[in-house]
Amino acid sequence: MSIRIMIVDDSSFSRAILADSLQQEGYEVVGEAECLESLVETYNKCKPDIVTMDIVMPGADGFECSKVLLAHDAMAKIILISSMKDEQAEAEARRIGVAGYVQKPVEAEGLRRVITGVASPDSLYEQLVNWSIDVFQEALAQSITRMTKAITTFSERTWSDKEVSQGITVVIGIIGHYSGSMIVDLSQETAEKMAEGILRRPAKNQEEIMAMAAEFANIVGGVACSMLNKKEQAFGLRVSPPSVFYGVQTKIVSPTIQLQGIYGDNDFGRTYLGIGFKRGRVLWM
Amino acid sequence: MDVKTINPILEAFTNILPQIGFQTVEKKGVSLAASPLQYQGILINIGVLGPLQGAILIGMDTASAKQFASKMMMGMEVTELDSLAQSAISEMGNMVCANACTQFTKVGIEGLDISPPTLLIGNDGQVRLAVPNVIVVEFAVDNIKVMVYVGVYNK
Repeated sequence: MSIRIMIVDDSSFSRAILADSLQQEGYEVVGEAECLESLVETYNKCKPDIVTMDIVMPGADGFECSKVLLAHDAMAKIILISSMKDEQAEAEARRIGVAGYVQKPVEAEGLRRVITGVASPDSLYEQLVNWSIDVFQEALAQSITRMTKAITTFSERTWSDKEVSQGITVVIGIIGHYSGSMIVDLSQETAEKMAEGILRRPAKNQEEIMAMAAEFANIVGGVACSMLNKKEQAFGLRVSPPSVFYGVQTKIVSPTIQLQGIYGDNDFGRTYLGIGFKRGRVLWM
Repeated sequence: MDVKTINPILEAFTNILPQIGFQTVEKKGVSLAASPLQYQGILINIGVLGPLQGAILIGMDTASAKQFASKMMMGMEVTELDSLAQSAISEMGNMVCANACTQFTKVGIEGLDISPPTLLIGNDGQVRLAVPNVIVVEFAVDNIKVMVYVGVYNK
């Protein structure tokens, strides 16, 4: 079966040229969109294997459109096509999580190589992304119940690369076949109540509260990674020691990965859990 | 951890910065600080796993971070730390730490891995690392003050 491609470009001329060369290479062009407004609708309708995306477009550019599409479907495989290719554009493309980058004018040989690479599924990564939020949620609920007997309920999931801290943020790096980050974030008040729940007495000082937050996040991360490794040995995930940040209105940004996030509510208050992994490979030419 | 073992990190810093548009990299001082540390502005957190474990952090105040990002982006004016500036700075952190892993192998410490960078942006913040004492290195990079915090221990 041929690879199904959707083209996003504001210029009908460019779309026609690209469609022609793709068809000559034996690919099937299943849809075209000219702007952000028609992007998601067309994507849903034609369900392409790959989306080619022009960078320079009036209104929302290719980066904006890629972000919207990836927020809609984290598995969308986007190849950016642009005459512009510099370090900034590359850094931004990597940050957003596009799968490939091809420079204009497009050469058939190079385009074919990138498409073939992007189309061959990284099923292990997809499995990890699909499982991770469920597993981390389960690990968080389990750990709280084991330590305090409290039951946690969870909100809807969100996709984001930016959060504002509620007060205390624990960051844990994850390393293995894919690397990633876990973020646990809670308010000072929630952390105090949780420390009291775990210690069965009020925390003595801020240090004890931050140590509790570090240890708690470490347990959640460790339990979740073990669960994932049990499901798929090849992940080989391990957690790095926690860093705990404490401050007012701190922004948490993960420039190279998109986090799946969830809020857990229990007797102590609200805990945010974010988890994201870096896609294994990006193809550039 | 022995202060001497931070040399690969210093080496990496001095190697990478000239590659991304900086002329001078001066080491201003090395000290030990107790955790939690105070910070202002932006902090890049990168987790480290392997024979050494913990985190390497790179910090700058907001004004310095804007200057730094502007230099990385070939002099483009940076009036706020938007996602492009954040991305540039975190990429620097990533490059420095990845290069540090290579430098460590030269002194026989092999198999270090690093996690993707997480940025924390805030003021009057505190950070508690998994080690009681953190090695703090102050750099002046084209006269921009950049702090490197090494909080790792031997496994």
